[in-house]
Formats: sequence, C-alpha cells, structure tokens
Amino acid sequence: MKNIAITIFIILIVAIMVLYFVSFQVREIESALVTTFGKPTRGITEPGWYFKWPAPIEQVYKFDSRMRVFEADLGETTTKGAVPIIVNTYVVWKIAEPLMFFNAVGTIKEAENKLLSQLSDTQNKIIGGHDFAEFVNSNPSKIKFEEIQNEMLADLKQPVRANYGIEIKTLGIKQLKISEEVSKDVFERMRAERNRKTEATIAEGNAEATRIKTDADSKKTELLAAAEARAKAIRAEGDAEAAKYYKLLEEDPDFAIFLRNIDALKKFLEKRSTIVFSTDTEPFELLKGMPNIKPKK
Amino acid sequence: MTDDNNKHLIQPPGKAAGDELDAAGKSLSEALRISFIVLKIIMIVLIVVFLASGFRTVEPDEQALVLRFGKICGIGENRILGPGLKWVFPYPIDKIVKIPVAKKLNLPVDSFWYYQRPDELLLSPEVRKSRVPATLNPIREGYCIIRSEEQSQTIPGLTGSDYHIVHCKWQLTYQIGDPERFFKNTYTDDTSPGQNYADVIEKSIRPLLEDLFEDAVVTAMVNYTIDEAISSQDRIPKHVKKLLQEKLDHIESGIAVVSVQLTDITWPRQVDRAFLASIKASQDSQKTISEAKGYAENTLNEVAGPVAAQLFETLKNETTGEEEKELLWPQLAGQAQEKIAGARAYRTKVVETAKANAEYLQKLLPEYRKRPELVVQKIYQDAIEYILNNVDEKIIIQPDAGIKGREIRLLLNKDQTLKPKSEEK
Repeated sequence: MKNIAITIFIILIVAIMVLYFVSFQVREIESALVTTFGKPTRGITEPGWYFKWPAPIEQVYKFDSRMRVFEADLGETTTKGAVPIIVNTYVVWKIAEPLMFFNAVGTIKEAENKLLSQLSDTQNKIIGGHDFAEFVNSNPSKIKFEEIQNEMLADLKQPVRANYGIEIKTLGIKQLKISEEVSKDVFERMRAERNRKTEATIAEGNAEATRIKTDADSKKTELLAAAEARAKAIRAEGDAEAAKYYKLLEEDPDFAIFLRNIDALKKFLEKRSTIVFSTDTEPFELLKGMPNIKPKK
Repeated sequence: MTDDNNKHLIQPPGKAAGDELDAAGKSLSEALRISFIVLKIIMIVLIVVFLASGFRTVEPDEQALVLRFGKICGIGENRILGPGLKWVFPYPIDKIVKIPVAKKLNLPVDSFWYYQRPDELLLSPEVRKSRVPATLNPIREGYCIIRSEEQSQTIPGLTGSDYHIVHCKWQLTYQIGDPERFFKNTYTDDTSPGQNYADVIEKSIRPLLEDLFEDAVVTAMVNYTIDEAISSQDRIPKHVKKLLQEKLDHIESGIAVVSVQLTDITWPRQVDRAFLASIKASQDSQKTISEAKGYAENTLNEVAGPVAAQLFETLKNETTGEEEKELLWPQLAGQAQEKIAGARAYRTKVVETAKANAEYLQKLLPEYRKRPELVVQKIYQDAIEYILNNVDEKIIIQPDAGIKGREIRLLLNKDQTLKPKSEEK
C-alpha cells in the first residue's frame, strides 16, 4: 500500500517534469512562436495551455502582445504649399502576428526602426498632400486636422501589418509647431490683430456711450416737449375757464378796463420804483396851501 | 514500509557476526525510519504550503483577474474578483493579477508651456519680461497652435491659414476603468521585488497617456480662437476629455478619464503688451459706457424723475389709452413736473383772478351806476395811496409859473442796495 503511494508520488513528479518539457502556457498578455529545429513553425495568439515537442526539437519564443507606444522625434516637413511645419507623431502598436514579426523584425528595437522609417514616409506623403490651411483655419469648418491624422493611420496601417505583422492601434500628432522664423511673423500678426481689436473696442465703446447719451438727450427733449404740451393744455384750460368770467365784465367794459388798469398800476409800482409827482396832482395840491372848501348847502 | 525494511534486515540468521550486523542494521533501520518520518512531515508541510499559497488578499481598492493556464477564467461578471480573501489553484495552474482600479491618478502636462530656465524664475517679473526671446524655438518651447478669428482672414498678404499661438498647462486625472481590458492590452513593466504594482502601472502607462493626451489637446485647440481659449475655460477641457476618452476606448486601453483641467493658459509673452492694452481698452470702454448710462439716468431723472422711462414708453406706445397716461403724469418729478405745476398754478391764478375781478365788478356795479364819479375817484385815490405807501422814493416838484413849460430833468441815483419791500421782511 505504501509502495503504491510512493509510486504515485513519483509518477506525479515525473509527469509534472515531463509536462514541463512538452507543454507551455501562453498568457493573455502574450503571443508565442514555436520553432521546430530552429525554424519558426507555429504562431500562437490565443492564450491557453499548449503542447510541444521537448526542448531540442521545438522551442517556444514569447512576445508581449500588449500595446506599446512609439514616438518619432520632432520633425520638420512641408505642407502642400511648401509651408514648413513641425510635427511630433506617435504610434500605438502591438505584435499581431508573432510568426511574421519574428521573421521580418525580430526585436522591439528593430520594430521601432522599421516604424520610424515607415512613419516618416507616411508623414511626408500625407502632410505634403494637405495645405497648411487644413491644419488650422480661421474657419473652423475647414479644419481637417483629425482627418489628416486618420489618413496617416490608414496609410501606415496596412503595409506595416502585411510586412511586419505589426498592428497599429492608433496614431496621432502630439505636437504641432512652426519653425522659429515663422513664429516671429505670427507674433507680428497677433499684435496687429490685437491692436485692431483694441481700437475696435474703444470705438465701439465710444459709439455705444454716445448712443446712450444721445438717446437720453432725445428722450429728455421729447419728455420736456410732452410736458410742455401738457402744460400748455392746462394753461389753455385755465384761459378758457377764465374767459367765462370775462363775459361778466362785458356789462360795463369801460369800468372794467379802469379797474384792471388800476390793478396793473398797483402791481407795476410796487417794487423798486421812484415816482415823481407834480404838486398839481392830488393830494399834493395840499402842499401849496389850504384847500378852499366850504360845506355844501 | 519501515516495518517491511526491518523484517528484511532481520531475516538473515546470524551468530556472533550476525549479532553485530543485527545491531548495525537496527541502528540503520532506525535512522531510515526517522528520515522517512521527517520526509513525510516535510511532504505534508510542502503540500499544505503549496495549497495555502493559493490564498490571496484583494485589497479594497483593487479588483483581480485569475489566469488559469494563462487564460482569464470565468464568464461575464465572474471574470473579475472584488476585494476580499480569495483562493486560487497554486502555481503553475492559476495566477492572480490584482489591479488597482479605485485609485485616481494625476498626470500634469506642461509640454505646451513656454520654456523658462530655472534661474529665470528667481528674477523679478520686469527683468523676466525684458528677457523674452523674440521667437519661439520649436524644440525647447511648448505651445499650441490655435485658429484666428474669421474676419482677420481678409487682411491682405496672408496665406489664408491664419493662426495664433497660445501657451497652456493641463492636468489629467484618470483611473483604470476596465481591469480586464487594461491587463490584456496596456503595456506595463514587470514588477521587480520591492516595487508597488500601482507605481509601476503609473510609470509604465505615462508615455502612452501623455501622447494620447497631447494629441487630444492639439486636435481640440485648433478649433478655438485665442479669446475663446482664454475666456471659456470649461468648454475646451470638455472637448479634450471627449477626444481623449474616445481614443482610449478605441485602443481598448481600459483607462477611464476622470477629469481634464486646463490649469493655466496665457498668450505668448512676446505679445503681452498688445494684449494688456486690449484688456485695458475693454475696461475703459466699459467705464465709458457705464458713465454714459449714469449720464442718461441722471438726465432722465432730472427731466421727469423715476417714472421717466415708463412715461416715455407709455407716451411712445400709441396703443396705450389716455387714462393710462393720466395715471403717470401725477407721478412725475423734475423739470417736466415743474412745467406742469407751473401751468397748473397759472390756470388756478388766471381763473381765480378772472373770477375775483368779475365778482369785484359785479359788486361795484350797482354803486358805480348810482354815483360813477365818486366811485371812480375813490378807487383812484385808494390806488394812489397804496402806491405812495409802497414806493421807495417819492419826489414832488412844484412847477413854477415863470418856468412853466420848461422841462424838468432829474438825475436819480438809483440806489442798488435798495431792496424791494417784500424782501426786506
């Protein structure tokens, strides 16, 4: 019984050791390549547990199948209109076909070299096919920046996959710049535009202020005119009402005029006046002498 | 099995030499027995340790995946393990991968900011301003190209693609949104002993995130003008966030953008003066306008008081009835009110005077008709008396018979200090 136990144990250990030599795991983050006598024969991209012939016959090479990022250096190229432009492009890529990758490229370093040359071809081709005005434009609907990036992706994707077994997940321009000399012109332009804006702001402000003031003045005039009209109407009402009483004066116009004149005289001479009388005028006659009056009989 | 061995050793019959052999065999068998026991214990311990090594703790801020023979095991939601103590088959069958999903990570991006030498930061702002280079070196200086405003396209001598430059600083906050996608697709360095996996992740994905993020910034910014960029500090980060998340989803990175912040944005230092002047102009302009508004308010107030605007509208509106207008007139103030008040006073006075005169005449008429001369004289005398009482200076001259007909000239020094009687009171 005990012999059986030890036998099973030994068999187990031997089995595990044999399995270790004839099988291998491919993890989710890997892809693998099996070589038979040094010649690549199988590419494995699905994770799982696989068998193989032991070591000298078949050998397994594993590749990391996750996305990697590669960026080219800042490079100057020219647009369709021969305008220099400086772009920095990056590529997100992964090993899609280990067999092809192993045959055509081999290492990550080499893959980056291949990507770089392919990328600069694509960059020159696609950017050279577009005007600068399609990268940035004062009219937003004319900006084709995203389309240009997609075009570059489309141009790069297929050949890289077919030739190197590399899949390009995405591509983009992470820096978009202009040459140093051009930056001076841009500043000049920005300054000019800002100055124009400043002037426009001042002019608009003044115009607005003037409009507000004029508006107020004209409102004032209109309001005063309206008030004046109203006042006139009120005065007219008064005159009309007073006219009713004038009728009563018609009973004796001469006397009425006399009374009015007396009133006027009183009013005129009320203030700051100097008056010169002759002693012939009543009651100053009295100053000349006693009056000659006798009682009436 | 030790018993078996013992039997076997005891089997050979022996005499003296056999006894010696027997003693040696005994001690050998004893040693073997002990070593087998030790071996057994070691084996049991090893098996226990082996099985116990399958226990793993998933921390509260983590989620875990189990790789069975390299393949993620489980279906649907079971593929991802939440926090807690977990048991998996030990190596080499299962492998547990813990991913910190709850942790929010920050990534500041300064690559669109202008270059400043460290020693420059110590200088005063004035000195720094005077040292601004006239041009931007594309390798050293960071900036974004943004579109210019549409109307400026009409300026002659330009290529039609007019653009501006702006400097900006950003901050990205992200977390791992989908651990499975993240693990499968996004490259991370291997963790060497002593390293925190979360730190390794942060360091490994930084280049990828930076590239995608800068791409999103560059792509978004070309759509805005400098005024939009500087003023609307919310719309652009939202745009960048959307672009970035789209890219991250497209490449199935499993990374989720928590927030994108535009931490700083400015126009190039080279054009600082023009921009400051522009800001000042717009402030001045605002001031001019508000002064004008003040003037307008004052003017209308002086004219008609607080109801001025309402009154004006009512007057202008032809549909409003007279009654409505009538309601507003009494609320008037200011000059308009004065005018109307004056008119009212005039009306009252005119009517009252006419009335008084009429009544006076009516009262006097009967008497006048009876004795016209006396009445007239009486009134006349009363008037003269009244006048003489009120007049400031009175001069009485006696015309001489000899100089009759001669003109009398009097120079009257008008006394300026002389005040009307009413005011003296």
